[in-house]
Amino acid sequence: MNRINWFGLIFISPVLLMVFLFFLTPVVMTAFFSFTNMSTSTGIKGGEYLINQETIKEIKKYNIQKGTIEKLENAGYLIDEEGLKIVSKKYKEALSNEINSLYFGEKFSNRKDLERALKKLKKNKIKKTRDRKEIAEIFKESIINERFNSKSIFEENLIKLEIDQNDRDIIIKESYTGWSWTNNNFKLIYSLPSSYKFAFYTVIYVFFTLTFNVVFGLFLAISTFYLPSKTASTFRTIWFLPRILPPVLYVLMWKWFTWDTGFISQMSTYFGASPKNWMMDSPIHAWTVIVLINGFVGASFGMILFSSAIKAIPSSMLYASEVDGANRWQQIWNIIIPQLRWPIMFTTAYQTLSLLTSFEYILLATNGGPGRSTEVWALAAYHTALQNYAGNLQYGLGATYALVLVIIGIIASLFYLKFFNFKDLVTKPRIEG
Amino acid sequence: MFIFQIIDNFTNPAPGGIWPSSFTIEHWRFLWETPKTGESYIWTVTFNTFIFASTTAVMVTTLSMTSGYVLSRLDIPGRKIFLAGLIMLHAFPTISLIVAIFLTLQIMGLYNTLLGVILVKSALELPFGVWIMKGFYDTVPWEIEMAGIQDGASRFTVWRKLILPQVQPGIAALLIFSFLSGWSEFVLPLVLAPSSDVQVLSTYLSALILDDNKFDFNLFKSVGTFYAIPVIIIYIVFQKKLMNIYGGGTKG
Repeated sequence: MNRINWFGLIFISPVLLMVFLFFLTPVVMTAFFSFTNMSTSTGIKGGEYLINQETIKEIKKYNIQKGTIEKLENAGYLIDEEGLKIVSKKYKEALSNEINSLYFGEKFSNRKDLERALKKLKKNKIKKTRDRKEIAEIFKESIINERFNSKSIFEENLIKLEIDQNDRDIIIKESYTGWSWTNNNFKLIYSLPSSYKFAFYTVIYVFFTLTFNVVFGLFLAISTFYLPSKTASTFRTIWFLPRILPPVLYVLMWKWFTWDTGFISQMSTYFGASPKNWMMDSPIHAWTVIVLINGFVGASFGMILFSSAIKAIPSSMLYASEVDGANRWQQIWNIIIPQLRWPIMFTTAYQTLSLLTSFEYILLATNGGPGRSTEVWALAAYHTALQNYAGNLQYGLGATYALVLVIIGIIASLFYLKFFNFKDLVTKPRIEG
Repeated sequence: MFIFQIIDNFTNPAPGGIWPSSFTIEHWRFLWETPKTGESYIWTVTFNTFIFASTTAVMVTTLSMTSGYVLSRLDIPGRKIFLAGLIMLHAFPTISLIVAIFLTLQIMGLYNTLLGVILVKSALELPFGVWIMKGFYDTVPWEIEMAGIQDGASRFTVWRKLILPQVQPGIAALLIFSFLSGWSEFVLPLVLAPSSDVQVLSTYLSALILDDNKFDFNLFKSVGTFYAIPVIIIYIVFQKKLMNIYGGGTKG
């Protein structure tokens, strides 16, 4: 008994591992990322602490003590190895050595003190005042533009500069270059008018594509049902092509078809119309093409489901209706369609979910254009997080967009679970039973 | 409009304008010409695509083969949860996870490698594969297995010698299906492995289309045809087997 369980667990564990790593983790991670302000500039691992001119500008906005900025900018003068090296390079090695023997490790709180000390040099006198000034500047210590990997080291340095607690906290917060926790993404999406637009486009897109899928799928299934079986299967093969072909190629064909030197334009010039890009000419054109592109792919899905459902209708029912004098139309309307209620519902539910989140074909066809008039929600998530012209990829914000879809996905698949006849699936295995 | 769509499919291979005027193989020169710097060589790309698609297919099929059996036949703890999870994942729109997967791969250091894309693609394909294989296992009569157990064979032997031959059509179909799906995959390689040495044919073609410097529909179409030939051949040869999956797979 136990052995069998082990056998089962070993058999199933690779799948569990894979699904866990690349399926469940991303779900959790989406939620996790959506509460951060990650972007290209913050990076995705931890950040560093760095004060630069930009940071100082930000710090000045706070109510901080007067001397703080000066303390940051001017942290005194220290005779150290690095400075000595520069001196020996720029001036004379002997000078550097003398400074080293006299003052190494010494600290001066301002430049005057250091200059006075430099005047005392005996062997290598610095004649020009300007040189003295310059040499003194070399030993200037400043926290600005220095990178710190950890918060504690950074804070220690600030304490050395005698910056008080309150200001220290502000500086630490402002100088952090990594990402941090925030719920701004949600606020932003909620307040942006464009996100309502994306949602609206998504609804339009799903509605029209779905209608097209179901109606056209039905039409194909019913019409091939009445054809002789050989012709029917040829037709089905042809209609299956959009699904079989790689998306990139399939969309390429559409692009050629609608291009300004493409098929429609060439055809319409025969009738005197001027050639134009039938896909990108206006939002209406773009939407029509997108609905068609997705529609044909989806229709084949509906077609397969519906035709197998029609085949399952007992033929005696159809014969009976013919004997009773029903014509084709009545037969379709009163017998076939009611029998297809379940597959139609299934297709609708399934396709809604996959259409909501799919952006592959739109990305390839219009990339959200013209303007941003075909930017659906999923494409917006993709564009914000993974590809945009500005170059700053906002992972956090993109993840928030995606999170909305993930939540919808989870709810819908739970609903799905209810929909299915779940008891059938979990009938107990018989051997152990 | 519908007829045009069909025509469109069929006129694609014909090089040279809408009405073919002269025959030329000039558009196929990408096959033997060495590319300029910064572009990838078509055969490298094809090789990548092949590796990507076949590894994914083998991985998905082997893993589904084992765990489909477990879910169909064995009474393991938590079986109900697994099944419920499986259906949920099966319906779940995987593409909405792309942002998180992208970031996860970056953290794991698998970003921009073929291995990373293969792992992700297989994982996303797995719920479907397991589902299909479970369906095939379910149709195998219990008597076969019972007889094997009665005769003293272990469960593993039963599975390997008696059950696997029974589900062979399923294995073949799944193998072909996941190969095709890997071959056509576009978004995952685009996002997860954008550099040119791990490019696959789909991203190669789309990069070609987006490149403004050489805008040549005939070239695109030749590359496209080159890309699609294996798909069409496989589809025509294995049509019957594949229909099993396309029809049955989504019905549950």
